[in-house]
Amino acid sequence: MNTMGKLRGAVAIIGIIYILIPLVVVIPASFTSAMYPSFPPEGFSIQWYTKILERPEFIEAFFNSLQFAVLAAFFAVLFGTLGALAIAKYDIPGKTAITSFLTAPLSVPQLVLGIALLIYFTPMMLAGTSTGFLIAHVIICVPYVIRLVLTGLSGFDYNLEKAGAILGANPLTVFWRITLPLIRPAIISGGLFAFLTSFDNVTVSLFMISPEMRTLPIEIFSTMQDAYNPIVASVSSVVIFISVVLILILEKIHGVGKVFGGGHH
Amino acid sequence: MEPVRSQINQERIEAEPPLKQKKLRKRKSWVPGLLLLVPILLFLFGFFVVPMLYILYLSFISTDSLSGAGAVYSLQNYITLFTDSYYLSSLWITVKISLLSSLVALILGYPIALTMAKSTPRMRAIITLLIASPLLVSIVVRNFGWYLLLLPNGTINSFLMNIGIINKPLNLLFSELGVVIGLSNAYLPFMVLAIVTSLYNIDPSLEKASAILGASPLRSFFSITLPLSLPGIVSGCVLVFSLSMSAYVTPALMGGANVPVMPVVVYDQINNLLQWTFGSALSYVLLATTLISVFIFTRAFEKSKFKEVFR
Repeated sequence: MNTMGKLRGAVAIIGIIYILIPLVVVIPASFTSAMYPSFPPEGFSIQWYTKILERPEFIEAFFNSLQFAVLAAFFAVLFGTLGALAIAKYDIPGKTAITSFLTAPLSVPQLVLGIALLIYFTPMMLAGTSTGFLIAHVIICVPYVIRLVLTGLSGFDYNLEKAGAILGANPLTVFWRITLPLIRPAIISGGLFAFLTSFDNVTVSLFMISPEMRTLPIEIFSTMQDAYNPIVASVSSVVIFISVVLILILEKIHGVGKVFGGGHH
Repeated sequence: MEPVRSQINQERIEAEPPLKQKKLRKRKSWVPGLLLLVPILLFLFGFFVVPMLYILYLSFISTDSLSGAGAVYSLQNYITLFTDSYYLSSLWITVKISLLSSLVALILGYPIALTMAKSTPRMRAIITLLIASPLLVSIVVRNFGWYLLLLPNGTINSFLMNIGIINKPLNLLFSELGVVIGLSNAYLPFMVLAIVTSLYNIDPSLEKASAILGASPLRSFFSITLPLSLPGIVSGCVLVFSLSMSAYVTPALMGGANVPVMPVVVYDQINNLLQWTFGSALSYVLLATTLISVFIFTRAFEKSKFKEVFR
């Protein structure tokens, strides 16, 4: 038993290291003083961080990503929360079918979704526009919001809403003062998750960008295809930093594992 | 006695509305719910269902690629695809790489899931956070980490050359091996989360019972834990396999032109060659291959010796 247990533990540790190692090596590599990235880095310098500022395309792409992620998260939360509320609260016929439909974009490969939208958007003059980009990102974000808000509503006590109504509050006040505060953690997690999903996306974005409108992951992707440049390490470290901050908030509110449907606490 | 009783009766009458009225209220009650659903339903219908059906329709149109005119309905795209060895071999490479990635993810993921199932809730939470967080960091960043490790002058090759095991760098990147490393790494967390869910559901008294009856830990594992976790293994493999089948970014960065998997070929057809109808056909063949493989795989397990564990 003991040797078996040790063996299992050892393989498990190797597995966890395997998952984390590509992220762990990026940060030290970004502080290299050499002209090429390496792990372990050679010497120490922050030159690759200051060089980001000399590359306006990265800065612009960063702000594009930020803008789209905020907007995509907003619309995904708006549509998704309304949908989830409807499913959880009302006795709508065909509820399970509707739920699977609303989360269906998750089961269609992003590559195929991107292709479909590019071909569909082109005659509508939406291809390569920010509207088209935003629509595509809302589609991939909305299923997560639906899932998270539905989980948040699963233990919801509807008597509280009734009590509010009996005490004379109108439906809007009931929603604003009772329902919303109670499902706020689920909505915030859904929003953060949608933000990260949009901010990180490459596959769908590849079909939605235009030469004038690119996002940070796209910029990293094309730089990697052209050259092996340490600036990718420093830009990636910035992305990791932003992700880690949001992940920690998400973990505090909701639990990161639960978002992906596994692991319970 | 008497007044109290009548009071209770009266209360019951007031509490239960007549049947007819109740039914009526119920029928009407979901209408506002439907109104809340309208925006998202319309949105997904217009920008998800219609585009997906539109490219399915396009895949049955063949255009004369020279003139661009004279679009006709035909199976030409599909015929080209299934008679050209380039596309067939690409499909085969994609399936092979996806199977290998699922296998690597299973071998590394099962011990992690088992360790989680046997640890304290606090430890579980920490491991869950560690393995799920990378899913929220962009895939390009994770691939760049592999560049640092796997390039000819990267960490692994330098290390192996320094200690004298090899004298020229191994082709770890821009090869099928590189793609399998990238994909198994990217989707391993999904495997762990799928398996761990089924492990959490196993009644711990079963293992105790088998220990009391004299089974060795190894025997308990193979006759109790492993069979009962099969649903998690199957759903984890299905997930990693389907995600690998349609992954574009990782094969493009870690395999490049050396590993022309279907997604890379499709991307090229759509974005570089602008062969939209043919690209649409390729997309649907990729989707269908994934679905059929998954169906065969799941079916094989559901009909196996352990079919009871799949409900």
